[in-house]
Amino acid sequence: MEHLTAETLARLVDDVPRPDETEHLEACDACSGELTALREQTEALASLPDIMPPLGDWQVLEAQLRSEGLLEDPSPFQKLALARTPGWMPAAAAIVLFLGGAGAGAALTRGGVGLALPSVPEATSVEDAATAVLVAEQGYVTAVSLYHELLARDGGSGGGGDPISRYAALEHVVSVSQAAIRQAPGDLYLNGLLASAIAERDAAARVVSASRDNWF
Amino acid sequence: MRDASVGATDRQLIRLAADGDARAIRMLYDRYAPRVHAVVRRIAGDDDLAQDYAQEAWIRAIRALPTFRGDARFSTWLHRIAVNAALQALRKAETRRKHEGPAPADVPIAPVHADSILQKRLERALDELPEGMRQVIILHDVEGYTHEEIGDVLGVTSGTSKSQLSKARAKMRAMLANLDGAAQEHGAEAWSI
Repeated sequence: MEHLTAETLARLVDDVPRPDETEHLEACDACSGELTALREQTEALASLPDIMPPLGDWQVLEAQLRSEGLLEDPSPFQKLALARTPGWMPAAAAIVLFLGGAGAGAALTRGGVGLALPSVPEATSVEDAATAVLVAEQGYVTAVSLYHELLARDGGSGGGGDPISRYAALEHVVSVSQAAIRQAPGDLYLNGLLASAIAERDAAARVVSASRDNWF
Repeated sequence: MRDASVGATDRQLIRLAADGDARAIRMLYDRYAPRVHAVVRRIAGDDDLAQDYAQEAWIRAIRALPTFRGDARFSTWLHRIAVNAALQALRKAETRRKHEGPAPADVPIAPVHADSILQKRLERALDELPEGMRQVIILHDVEGYTHEEIGDVLGVTSGTSKSQLSKARAKMRAMLANLDGAAQEHGAEAWSI
């Protein structure tokens, strides 16, 4: 009996056999066994795992990205285009206290903005600490993204949209930033972001306070 | 332990990374580097080349981030960039070799993170396949590309891709059988109808 060629068997991993091939496979244990092995090989290839890059890979890449100007570390104030100094005003403080509770949640819901506030337990191991840093980083990214969305939505002026929703969303950014800072107190990014967010939140509070149809 | 992979979405990270945000770029790298490294490592067939190709892929991707429109998933978009970067680098290296004459033979190095004997054997067999066959079997059997997609990427017809795949599978099967030390009664060349 003549066997099927190796390439024919390899093709039959995907293709339906012709009648003569089917007849042969039914009669030949060697060929049907080889086809089974080829199918197993193909399945094994499909489930090969990802491969971790070598140690130090990021550092090499980071240097290249910097040399090409693709990666920058501007200060949060520069990055967020915020040069205003945050300043508390009595009226704003009153609004903060008032809206800090249920009002903020309602406004967030109305504005279509919903974020999970990260909370990380105290780290008791290096692994937990590393996780905490990751969570803090994600808090940062989430907060900055929301921040950009808010600026884009209101044209960066703080004058458009629903001022209460804007205020409440910014209050949430502040909360997220504070939660992240608890995990990485010395992080310049997070501290800068928090300062910026507080400034914007306060500005939003002033808008709410000054509007004619506010609740005060 | 908390799953730290949830949280910031790709969309959020991409938006920040497109502006050059170092932290967002690092988070994208952490999230996708193993995937990128895996595909370029298998196409390159060599660890040192793989690192160079992966770096090139990342630089291209970061440079192109502002043009990412979100039509495809980011992982798919990045994967395609990585495949193209690796293939183009291989072609350049091949052209250089032709001009410079034969280079010392590379010694394939098995990836250190494959954690089973079978996986190591598969990776080793992939490394030892001729380049054209290796590219097709990696793109089809490992990465799930169709023959039409392989044709687009490699600049060949889908028929050529299909034919190369059958040859690659058969050759790999023979190599794995040899690695097993189980000499088959029917060697790869002996299978004739």
